[in-house]
Amino acid sequence: MVAGGPIIEARDVDFYYGAFHALKGVSLDVAAKETTALIGPSGCGKSTFLKLLNRMNDFVPGARLSGEIKVAGRSIYGSDSDPVSIRRLVGMVFQRPNPFPKSIYDNICYGPRLIGARKKADLDVLVEKALKAAALWDDVKDKLTKSALDLSGGQQQRVCIARALALSPEILLMDEPTSALDPIATAKVEEWIKEADLSIVIVTHNMQQAARVSEHTAFFYLGELVEFGPTMEIFTRPRERRTENYITGRFG
Amino acid sequence: MALFGYSLKERQTRELLALGVIRFLGGSFLAVMGALVVYLVYRGGSAISWDFLTEYPRDSMTAGGIWPAIVGTFGLAAGSMLVAIPLGFGAAIYLAEYARPGPLLTVIRLGVNNLAGVPSVVFGLFGLAVFVSFLGFGRSLLSGCLTLGVLTLPTVTAAAEEALRQTPASFREAALALGANRWQAIRQVVLPAALPGMLTGAILALGRAAGETAPIIFTASAALTLNAPESVFSEVMALPTHIFNLATNGAHIAATRPQQFGACLTLIVLVLGLSLFALIIRARLRKGRKW
Repeated sequence: MVAGGPIIEARDVDFYYGAFHALKGVSLDVAAKETTALIGPSGCGKSTFLKLLNRMNDFVPGARLSGEIKVAGRSIYGSDSDPVSIRRLVGMVFQRPNPFPKSIYDNICYGPRLIGARKKADLDVLVEKALKAAALWDDVKDKLTKSALDLSGGQQQRVCIARALALSPEILLMDEPTSALDPIATAKVEEWIKEADLSIVIVTHNMQQAARVSEHTAFFYLGELVEFGPTMEIFTRPRERRTENYITGRFG
Repeated sequence: MALFGYSLKERQTRELLALGVIRFLGGSFLAVMGALVVYLVYRGGSAISWDFLTEYPRDSMTAGGIWPAIVGTFGLAAGSMLVAIPLGFGAAIYLAEYARPGPLLTVIRLGVNNLAGVPSVVFGLFGLAVFVSFLGFGRSLLSGCLTLGVLTLPTVTAAAEEALRQTPASFREAALALGANRWQAIRQVVLPAALPGMLTGAILALGRAAGETAPIIFTASAALTLNAPESVFSEVMALPTHIFNLATNGAHIAATRPQQFGACLTLIVLVLGLSLFALIIRARLRKGRKW
């Protein structure tokens, strides 16, 4: 991988759920250390594309992929690639906050423990670092042993972010991470995204959000990547008619 | 004003009518159950004493106690769960987590649910053929536990599978996205969340195992034992079969009436106690696991 080059390279990706052609010839490069937003109406394939990036579609019966996706220069659908190690490199935050019914501390430690972290001292450091990175440390430092489910929705989502960050991923995928949150919690998560020193791919229904947090934006429609470019350009001078219609609210 | 035919008054009448019917049905159920318990306490209560619970039967069962039957019932119920829980939970994990959806899975699930409705005497004959005769375990605690284990297996499996299915998919996704493999996600996240629900099925099965009569007549129960069981190959007495024997077989059926009712009451209290114990375990597991 060249410094400043793409961290994700997708080439001619076609994806099917059974007979349904969900993605049609998508090619897209995601720049390292930047935030890339995927926008488009429901069912356009943006979430499907996101889930291909850490192989979360592997469990869908009848799913089939052609084309190539490389993460950090390595093909993730090659015969020698291992989904488990890919998911440690590419973290994911879901639409609804989904902390485990365990303590905050144990939620954060889940990933590190899977790869053999056992020493309390090491885990303590990791938990503090991850929670600070997710801008949650000050809120929860006195109640790490409390159930994560007792937190507010916004705090739960930041626990999920911290849980993903505890594995020090290269890339974080976020699937509409604020759609279940109130405006204040949303602002906090967006703030975090803007500050984060990490490659982020975020799916969002909220075009203002895409404009606020991302450097690049990709517009998907009916399984095609219609337009991809710097966020400023997509929102001010879209080249495609369909992009313009969508971002100006004519359909969606 | 009745815009669409029903006035407010009519709708209120209907509501009251529905409420009345439901209250009547619920009340009837409680009355029947209550009458049963009151009758049992009335007829059996006088027979219950410390000696009745801790002594062996005497004088052609007209005197003495039911201690060996209590021990046998405990042994059979506990042993059957040792058989049904590992097998049932294992099968449920396979069905809910690993098996691919399709016609085969539908047939298996249908089979499991239908087995739960097979009369217990059929399981008794199965146990007699397989465990007692073919495997040569004889009429014994072991054969009884295995038979009752097989009998309760469908209930345990179906309930456990349902509990696993009701665990939010988002827990699995979260674990997998953090680099867990499937078994890790199941063991560390799905199972702890589903366990209280899975135990509910086991609780019901435990009560059933303690109360079943027909399956153990063939496979485990002796009319009378005068020692504690020496090994799993010993015959045991059990409360349901003891009641059955006293009420149908003895030379002094009328004289053993108090013993019969006393044993019935003991059995009911025992099943209640086992259920309560299991409920407490479940409540403890459930703590902090709401979502």
